[in-house]
Amino acid sequence: MCLADLEFDYINPFDSSSRINKVVMPEFIVQALLSALFLLSGHWAMFLLSAPMVYYNYTLYERRQHLVDVTEIFNHLSREKKRRLFKIAALIVLLFLSLFWMIWSV
Amino acid sequence: MRPSAGNERPPGRPVSGFVPGFAAGAPPPAAGASPFGAAAPLARPGGPAGPFAPPTQQQGPPVAQAAASPRGPFGAAPPAAMGGYRGPPPPQGSFGAGPPPPGPFSAAPPPQGPFGMAPPAQGPFGAAPPPSQGPFGATTPPSQGPIGAAPPPQGPFGAVPSSQGPFGTAPPPFRPPPSALLQPQSPTGNTMPSPTYVRPPPVQSQPQPVQGYYPGGPNPQFPPSRPSFQQPMQNMPPPSMGPPSSYSNQPAYPTTGPPMGTLQTLVEDFQSLSVSSAPGSLDPGVDVNGLPRPLYGDEEPAKVLEAFPLNCHPRYFRLTTHTIPASQSLVSRWHLPLGAVVHPLAEAPDGEEVPVVNFGSAGVIRCRRCRTYINPYATFADAGRKWRCNLCTLLNDVPGEYFCALDASGRRFDADQRPELSKGTVEFVAPTEYMVRPPMPPSYFFLIDVSVSAVRSGLLEVVAKTIKSCLDDLLGFPRTQIGFLTFDSTLHFHNFKSSLSQPQMMVVADLDDVFLPLPDDLLVNLVDSRHVVESFLDNLPNMFQDNVNVESALGPALKAAFMVMGQIGGKLLVFQSTLPSLGIGRLRLRGDDVRAYGTDKEHILRIPEDPFYKQMAAEFTKNQIAVDIFSLSDKYCDIASLGSLAKYTGGQVYHYPSFQATTHGEKLKHELSRDLTRETAWESVMRIRCGKGVRFTTYHGHFMLRSTDLLALPAVDSDKAFAMQLSLEETLMTTQTVYFQVALLYTSSSGERRIRVHTAAAPVVTDLGEMYRQADTGAIVSVLARIAVENSLSDKLDSVRQQLQLKLVKSLKEYRNLYVVQHRIGGRLIYPESLRYLPLYILALCKSLALRGGYADVSLDERCAAGFSIMILPARRLLNFIYPSLYRLDEVLTVEPDMIDGALKRLPLTLQCLDTAGLYLLDDGFTFLVWLGRMLQPELMNDILGVSLSNFPDLSKIQLRECDNNHSRNFMAVQRALRERDSSCYQLPRVVRQGEQPREGFLLLSNLVEDQMAGTSSYMDWILQIHRQTQSS
Repeated sequence: MCLADLEFDYINPFDSSSRINKVVMPEFIVQALLSALFLLSGHWAMFLLSAPMVYYNYTLYERRQHLVDVTEIFNHLSREKKRRLFKIAALIVLLFLSLFWMIWSV
Repeated sequence: MRPSAGNERPPGRPVSGFVPGFAAGAPPPAAGASPFGAAAPLARPGGPAGPFAPPTQQQGPPVAQAAASPRGPFGAAPPAAMGGYRGPPPPQGSFGAGPPPPGPFSAAPPPQGPFGMAPPAQGPFGAAPPPSQGPFGATTPPSQGPIGAAPPPQGPFGAVPSSQGPFGTAPPPFRPPPSALLQPQSPTGNTMPSPTYVRPPPVQSQPQPVQGYYPGGPNPQFPPSRPSFQQPMQNMPPPSMGPPSSYSNQPAYPTTGPPMGTLQTLVEDFQSLSVSSAPGSLDPGVDVNGLPRPLYGDEEPAKVLEAFPLNCHPRYFRLTTHTIPASQSLVSRWHLPLGAVVHPLAEAPDGEEVPVVNFGSAGVIRCRRCRTYINPYATFADAGRKWRCNLCTLLNDVPGEYFCALDASGRRFDADQRPELSKGTVEFVAPTEYMVRPPMPPSYFFLIDVSVSAVRSGLLEVVAKTIKSCLDDLLGFPRTQIGFLTFDSTLHFHNFKSSLSQPQMMVVADLDDVFLPLPDDLLVNLVDSRHVVESFLDNLPNMFQDNVNVESALGPALKAAFMVMGQIGGKLLVFQSTLPSLGIGRLRLRGDDVRAYGTDKEHILRIPEDPFYKQMAAEFTKNQIAVDIFSLSDKYCDIASLGSLAKYTGGQVYHYPSFQATTHGEKLKHELSRDLTRETAWESVMRIRCGKGVRFTTYHGHFMLRSTDLLALPAVDSDKAFAMQLSLEETLMTTQTVYFQVALLYTSSSGERRIRVHTAAAPVVTDLGEMYRQADTGAIVSVLARIAVENSLSDKLDSVRQQLQLKLVKSLKEYRNLYVVQHRIGGRLIYPESLRYLPLYILALCKSLALRGGYADVSLDERCAAGFSIMILPARRLLNFIYPSLYRLDEVLTVEPDMIDGALKRLPLTLQCLDTAGLYLLDDGFTFLVWLGRMLQPELMNDILGVSLSNFPDLSKIQLRECDNNHSRNFMAVQRALRERDSSCYQLPRVVRQGEQPREGFLLLSNLVEDQMAGTSSYMDWILQIHRQTQSS
């Protein structure tokens, strides 16, 4: 995900976009699995926290915007970066919360 | 104004009468200027015919009315006004009655009369075509007849000559350009600077002065009407008068009548306005003829060269405003785009070659840090041993070989001998460090659809013949490479091995897994295999003559072409005549759905359907392949998808709707050979560097961004321009001047690596007014158009148009805020001199093929093709595309052939300019539209068409050939002259007769951007609208 930051001329758009696109689908699937796990294991709060992101991914996929477009990558650079930063932030929050719950339950 | 209007073009009027749609709109026009502004009024009268009578009478009154109620519809207000007026002008009454000609004219005072009256005349015509024509028609045969019919009036008005007569006597004083007299339509008026408006004669005195002007005032008849006229005139603001006189030479189209009521308020403002002709010029809003029109086409900001003589010529690089704002806050107040239009390979006029510099062993001299190339603005220091980069101010060493002493002023002694130190545009020969591989040979690969529709339309024959005729002129002899691949539901490879006597064809039917049947010999050296290629081209049309295959496997063919060309790169020309239907990349017939318009899904039709094409384009760019698309389908073929191939590879889209070799063959032939033989830069990259504090952020055009500021252009030529937008990186600029350097690194056709460098400087300013003064309309329109087209790919057309309008309004409002207080010109629309055409261009842009209307107005393919064209057109051609040139030809055809070029005068794009007895030509850079007036002399028509109209030929299929008579020869000469002005496109002539529906509607009327069309405003309304919006805060 952080590949977007590599864009400053160190890597050409063809490579970077193919590298980014390679991890997009796995990421979505892992996300979906994770939230499904939360749901099944009864962690309602956690599920509610992660659900929006899954839904967001799903809409992106529906609109076919989940993959980075080589030809437009520079026009979308700032937006993509922002989007990814938000996702990272959300993931970190999720991580901390699950750690917290883990410790709490122990 | 009216005068001018009336003067020579009575005929124009009639025209309006003819077109039903217009007629409706036109009635009020009778009033005078109203035709333009009148949109509203028109409707109101109720029925053209019924209301008609009143309007006519009103002619004079409109003004008065105007005074009474600004926007008062004619129908409503007229009674009173009319009554009042009627009394005085008996003639008017007569007018309404029908004895028409004399009446209307008599009403008009002689001198002015001719002019002032013109409107009335118009009224009848424009207002209710039928009725007006009726009366007139009865009296006189031709449309002109009406005017001409009236014996008295005719003298002055009707016959062009006669009308001129009156003027001829008087005009001298008024019309600076004498030639104008001869050419009633001469557009010159427009350009008149605002000052001209200044100080119109005092209102009351108007009539008199007018007379004075036109002492010749011919008709005794007119005097009676005079009084009546006068009255209206009094109401009229002087300015209107003022302009008329100044404009009299102007396009005399009759529309100019008294301003419509609505405008009245504006008018008065003008009056006061005219006095203060300060920094901002004022809008003569009232008077349609006085509105600025770009009849001289694009104006290159040549004055920039005076301030910065070392800059490159503006044809290569134009900033939207030749200044850089000093602060962010200034940028935020400049609502127009801040950016530039770059045309790196613009054709220099003859005799002006771009100097080539070879640094030899010193290597190309560049700044160590920012990689800027040495340029005229670099300064030398330390007795010539160092040079300071003007972009980043770093001090660099001067290589020993390049050293030269400095004179007292710090200038090198050899500066004048070295073009890189004295010229804004130079070419450096690049040494081997600038190559990643040996310079590629120019190579051409043709991908030709041979399915049944291509065969039937005669495409193969035209293409084969054209290519064959171009073989000698292909670039890069003797290294040129060439190859062909034909396809329908299978791919046909052709082996051109030089030892063969006939090409071998190999068919590959496996579309899922395309492979090359031969490792090489598919793309061959032209010199070695010339005979094989020629025999292939000779046979090509016959080979597939009986093909009945309707499928088209474009996707696999592209993959195959990629495999063939991948190693070398070059140019791929795709001839596609149906929708790709097989294999990867097949497209659906996604119908243009009326229900989609106005919803969020609307734009989806304008973007590529299948990501395959974008991916393919990315692959092509990576391998230095440029794709040109020739789309020749008679049905929908999804240009939106196909075009993306060209968009990201620096290519171009040619669209020939319903191609037929017999009619479009010439055009295809010319454009294909231009494409093959124009000077092309191969495997190029372009970067624009600029001084500290500013940065180019977004780029618009056909290219692929390789990194944030590097444009990859597999092939680029003189027909492509690029636009980009700037942003400030620092909140406050500390430097005085900002430098820009465009560097295009490319391989020339001769196999030499070259760097073309354009350098320009622009001052940093702290004053918004200065930014407006230095604004460049051509560049602004270019950038705006490209942004608008890009927005139309992700937004509704309607909102795209609104955004454009909003930008215009915001910028004018800002300008207004600058000056409105200090000059106390509260009520007027003010705009900077430099942007005087901007409102019209924006209006024209909103009505251009790419952005016009909605569902039924333009076919989806045409819309997309126009969009792709707009993305690459240089500023001058873009302006001509959105505001086409209209010429009246019937008079030109009788002059000496060598005088033709001078005799062509552009006319405003409005129906009022069209005379039923005239022959007109509209040139938008892509087509010639020949409009035959209903009353055009049959002989002239026959001479030109080569057939008699009495045979009812199908004008859509007719071809204009040179016939053995003077008219036809001159007509061809005119076409040649116009084509010579711009050789990048071949304008195919299309003939349309007046009243021929629906062709006239969508061919011609939709191009008359100043007129009101379904759902769009006329120029006058537009100005009023903009004016209102700038005033509301």
